[in-house]
Amino acid sequence: MSNTDKGVVVSHVSKSFGEVVALRDISFEVGRGEVVGLLGPNGAGKTTMVDILSTLSLPDGGEAEVAGHNVVSDPAGVRRSIMLTGQHVALDDMLTGRENLVLFGRLQGLDKPAARSRCEDLLAEFDLSHAADRLVSTYSGGMRRRIDIACGLVVRPEVAFLDEPTTGLDPRSRQSIWDLVAEFKNEGIATLLTTQYLEEADALSDRIIVIDHGAIIAEGTADQLKEHTGGVFCEIVPRDLNDVPTVAEALGELLPDKSRAALSSASDRLSIPAPDGANTLTKALRLVEAANIELADIALRRPSLDEVFLALTDKTISDTEPKSAAAKLS
Amino acid sequence: MIIPAGERPTPARLRQWWVLTVRVIKPTLRNGELLTPPVTSVVFTIGFYIPLKKLMGNFTNGMSSYAQYVTPLIVLQAIAFAAVLTAFRSATDAVLGINQRFGAMPIAPLAPLGARISASMVRCSTALAFAILCGHVIGFRFHAGAGFAAAFCIVALMIGVALSLLGDLVGAATMNPDATTHLLMLPMLIFGLLSVGVQPVEQFPGWIQPFVRDQPISQLIYALRALAGDSTTAAGVANWSVIGPAVGWLIGTIAIVLPLYAYRSSRRR
Repeated sequence: MSNTDKGVVVSHVSKSFGEVVALRDISFEVGRGEVVGLLGPNGAGKTTMVDILSTLSLPDGGEAEVAGHNVVSDPAGVRRSIMLTGQHVALDDMLTGRENLVLFGRLQGLDKPAARSRCEDLLAEFDLSHAADRLVSTYSGGMRRRIDIACGLVVRPEVAFLDEPTTGLDPRSRQSIWDLVAEFKNEGIATLLTTQYLEEADALSDRIIVIDHGAIIAEGTADQLKEHTGGVFCEIVPRDLNDVPTVAEALGELLPDKSRAALSSASDRLSIPAPDGANTLTKALRLVEAANIELADIALRRPSLDEVFLALTDKTISDTEPKSAAAKLS
Repeated sequence: MIIPAGERPTPARLRQWWVLTVRVIKPTLRNGELLTPPVTSVVFTIGFYIPLKKLMGNFTNGMSSYAQYVTPLIVLQAIAFAAVLTAFRSATDAVLGINQRFGAMPIAPLAPLGARISASMVRCSTALAFAILCGHVIGFRFHAGAGFAAAFCIVALMIGVALSLLGDLVGAATMNPDATTHLLMLPMLIFGLLSVGVQPVEQFPGWIQPFVRDQPISQLIYALRALAGDSTTAAGVANWSVIGPAVGWLIGTIAIVLPLYAYRSSRRR
């Protein structure tokens, strides 16, 4: 076990594939027992980052340590410390679930009895005992993902890289992977989770790092990120969509000119800033009632992480000044 | 317990090689793949011997029988077919992402390749045994004694090693199991038919004779034929001038492919 209390330390890492810049000047840390979500759209550089940290790829510049081992000079040390589950399940399709688990146990140094006993534990934990003797090629997507992750847990990892672990999974399988991430946290394992799902990053991560075009554009807790995009707003939905212009008129100064201008015949709701929270809502409700308009819904809302994400990734990052648009929140 | 406590054990290289070998062989016992060596041996024997015996029977360069003449080619084709399955397996591993997964695990760099080659040797040995058996049925015999018969088998298996290594590299590079099989089978068939395995070099048109004589399959056939011997002296003498070029081709192939593989597997993008 390494002495460092950091599971992952990334310092100014960059990586290009020919002309394409995949990562530029990326720095972050993941503490032991911490879950960090690496959030970004397709092609943002998430998998490249995981590939570098799991020794599959070399950085062009910068330094990275995993469990105290340098990814360039001590790849063997890194490989002895990690578990990696990729976007695509990598198992031997021609073997059964049980055979795969025993294989991975023995490859990682367990003797035959230990590998078998560990395999039985994992089959039970991952609810796969009933399918243990079936070829993995016959498994459903969720089962494949579960056995794939189980294969990564035959021995204890110090650092876990979960590269889009729930992409394409049914809700039940996704929940079981979410539960597992909580378990990692309890066990003091440093976890780096890449995802395109904001809901997932929100639910699981202690901190979220948003990357786009290979650069970090925001970093912080989900709450900090939401705060960054704008405060609370009040959303008003009239029962009859034809009433939208009437509501807009009734709201008067509460509706900013910019929002008023953005309204169109396709608008089905109105949003007004609610700096005073419930007071703003009450004021809006009175105005609408006075105009005798029936509402389907009126509520205070915080921006969803989706909105934060879209707002952040909409910004174009200049090649020369990648940090200029970065919103460092932590 | 979902996450085990305590230190991780230290992986052992020899064990890794062994379990990876078993990994490749185990499914062949289940999916009927182990039946392919006997079937291909029979098919090649029937395919070459029956239609060509009458036609080529008189063109055996003075050897006692066409069975004695053609069996080395049957052996070679059976081994090549077994080796192509290695390429198929290697391409499958590559496309499934297993190579990549092993790359992020504490696995000795050459263990996966070593395992696929040793599994291939199991297939090649079976193919060799059945090809010799089929040869025996049509009349092929070892005439030069046990030592030369053993050398015949060693050279045949070395062909298996060289082709398996080559196939493994091609398979890992293409990441396409089906294309890999075609890519390797076609040259084997063309080189096999344009070799001295079916008929003597003199029977080919003059312009292609240098190619037929000097290409590697012919050189391997000359060597195997000499090592098997004949009741006549027409099979040639198994000296270094006959065996040397064949061994040279095999060692040369292995010497080129191994460093390429080592480079490819150690290189990180």
